[in-house]
Amino acid sequence: MDLGLIIYLMSLLTMGGIYAVLALGLNVQWGFTGLFNAGIAGFLAVGAYTQAILTTPIDRDHLGAYDWPIPLAMVVAMVFSAIVAFAIAKICIRLRSDYLAIATIGIAEILRLVFKNELWATNGPRGVSQIPKAFEGVRFADIDWLTGDLSGWAALRYEAVSRGWMDVPLPTPEERFLTAGLFLGMVVAIVLVLYIALEAARKSPWGRTMSAIRDNETAASAAGKDIEAFRLESFVLGAAMMGLGGAILAQYLKQIDPQVADPLTATFLVWVMLIAGGSANNKGAILGAVLMYAVWSGTEILSQKLLTFLSSDTVGLLTLAEAGEWSIRFAYLRVFLIGLILQFILQRRPQGLLPEKRPKPRPKPSPRSAPEAEKTGSTQA
Amino acid sequence: MKKFLATAAVAGLAAAPALADDIKIGSVAGATGPIAELVAPILAGRNLAAEHVNAQGGLLGGNNMVLILADSQCDPKAGVDAGQKVVSVEQVVAVIGASCSGATNGMVQSVTIPAGIMSISDSATAPSITDLKDNDLVFRTAPSDAYQGAALAKLAWDAGYRKLAVTYSNDDYNAGIAEVFAASFQELGGEITANQLHEPNKASYRAEITTLSAGGPEGLALFAYYGGSGITIIRNSLETGAFGKFLAADGMFDASVIETIGAENLVGNLMITQSASDPENASYQLFAELYADSGFDPAAPYAAHGYDAAFLVALAIQKAGSADPALLPAALRDVANAPGEIIRPGEWEKAVALLAEGKDINYEGASGPVDFDAAGDVAGFYSVNTVGDDGQYVMDYIR
Repeated sequence: MDLGLIIYLMSLLTMGGIYAVLALGLNVQWGFTGLFNAGIAGFLAVGAYTQAILTTPIDRDHLGAYDWPIPLAMVVAMVFSAIVAFAIAKICIRLRSDYLAIATIGIAEILRLVFKNELWATNGPRGVSQIPKAFEGVRFADIDWLTGDLSGWAALRYEAVSRGWMDVPLPTPEERFLTAGLFLGMVVAIVLVLYIALEAARKSPWGRTMSAIRDNETAASAAGKDIEAFRLESFVLGAAMMGLGGAILAQYLKQIDPQVADPLTATFLVWVMLIAGGSANNKGAILGAVLMYAVWSGTEILSQKLLTFLSSDTVGLLTLAEAGEWSIRFAYLRVFLIGLILQFILQRRPQGLLPEKRPKPRPKPSPRSAPEAEKTGSTQA
Repeated sequence: MKKFLATAAVAGLAAAPALADDIKIGSVAGATGPIAELVAPILAGRNLAAEHVNAQGGLLGGNNMVLILADSQCDPKAGVDAGQKVVSVEQVVAVIGASCSGATNGMVQSVTIPAGIMSISDSATAPSITDLKDNDLVFRTAPSDAYQGAALAKLAWDAGYRKLAVTYSNDDYNAGIAEVFAASFQELGGEITANQLHEPNKASYRAEITTLSAGGPEGLALFAYYGGSGITIIRNSLETGAFGKFLAADGMFDASVIETIGAENLVGNLMITQSASDPENASYQLFAELYADSGFDPAAPYAAHGYDAAFLVALAIQKAGSADPALLPAALRDVANAPGEIIRPGEWEKAVALLAEGKDINYEGASGPVDFDAAGDVAGFYSVNTVGDDGQYVMDYIR
């Protein structure tokens, strides 16, 4: 395998990882608690724009030039997303599933239009460009191999990034591998931390309460749980993760505009990922995200390879012009393919590739009370 | 420890790219997505250029020029992904594209500039692309919006307008032109009585028009797509009597405007600028003839620019004498800009012969002279279209 292919696979995993963050956020809301959030794009946009405005060193037609450190901006992006989610949840969290879906679609669209129309802050439809990306300025020359001096790493070279490419030498192919690898490492680390935290949460009493609310709200309420507070917590937590996903996405793309919050690729695709991977299963959310993104992106390469092969001099089934025409048709076929996969999974594996595993509650060490409870239960019935 | 493993892995992986019989050029475009219909004629233009090169002896003495298509969906997410595919997987030597300005901006900053790959866009017109710090790797054959807005402002001023209202559809293209138009018109001494954006695809714009008509403007500068909001706004304006005269940019250039509104209402009242090639220019005439077989209109937006972008990449490779990406930007400036013997669309054999003799060449494209400035931009060329007595557009090339 050559270096280029590896760099592409790394970009595939990076985008898959970013989608995994979004899918995990949705899993908290839908998988754990049963909140039908159809406005993922809105929270993603809040995170992405926060990151873009706070870190971008220039302010060409938009709010900016704050030149914040990247990690701090990512935290603030999460907080902003959480605040927006809190305000929304306060108003409409009591809506039952499909009504909540309608409300969140509307809210996501409102957010997108705000970002599109508040020209002074966001540069409207043209978006924010030249967003700094973590690790992009790292060069081999910065690393003191002999002494193991980590200062270049520790500082992440923000200052080099904010000065722009003119002052940083363009990366060699090996340095592109390095910078892409470090960024991928950051994404993987974030996904891993979120996964471990969410697994702990899922098995905790908090997580079990969430699934109780999801499966039978009345029963959970009868058990004395404050349904509204739990639903609100879950909604805000999930939205904060979507904001984080947006913040990473903004760095990765280095350019965002309202098209980033396009419902097809920012809401619908995330839903497909979670449903395909396995709702309420954190591993499933990650698997679904990486797998579906690989299909979404990778099929294009396969179709191109096929066309290049068919139109090559040795095979000669297609002329170059015909191959050009077919490649446009294949582009549409990919969108169709995603729908087909979703249909297939819903038909064959309605619970997703990795179905939910309920945590086993620890048995209470009180053998005598159990039959009593059973007795009272039966007399009442 | 990890670092050392990484370097070891890198050292093992770095392989020298071998020159195959095919020289691959990335062709990134919004083949699906919101502007898919506009992209088809542009792609036909790019493909035609490659056909000409291959039919007349190929690149560097017999290599096929192969365009590798990747879909940018008019979205930065897909644009970056498409860029990765052509640059990292296909290892192209240069990239044409990626259609929309947002997708182009993302692709060049995240992929092609760090990889040291030259890119030429044939339809991204955002002014923000001009001031990217790109190590001279980003070019475009499509003029920045800044030029069309300024051209229309000058036309309006020369036609005697002094007070105008401005409204634009809220998308990156129309917003950009409107912004430059308003600034240029004010610079000339004109007054903008109102400047308001509108969302496309509404059933009625009467409320917006009422707001816009305050302050006694002499006409409405309307930046929109004819199908999105343009026709509705003209109709509502005529119904309410708020505006009778309209100025517009190329998003409004379509026969359906005359058909729906009626020529009698528009004669002398409508002025549309369009990014255009000089119809009397020999290069454009050649291109129009060659392009006719594709089934698209040679005057389709940016089709000529697509042809020029692809043909220029081929010329740059031939000039550089190798497909080494590092040599291409300088070679591109060499073949595109004066001085040199003039090369026109389709004249690949002639160009190859001249280059073999060591002579300088200067490509005069179908879309204009395509002379790149320091930022890699070209000047804009426009026509002004008015409605004639026969109910058809009358086109005047602005010289």
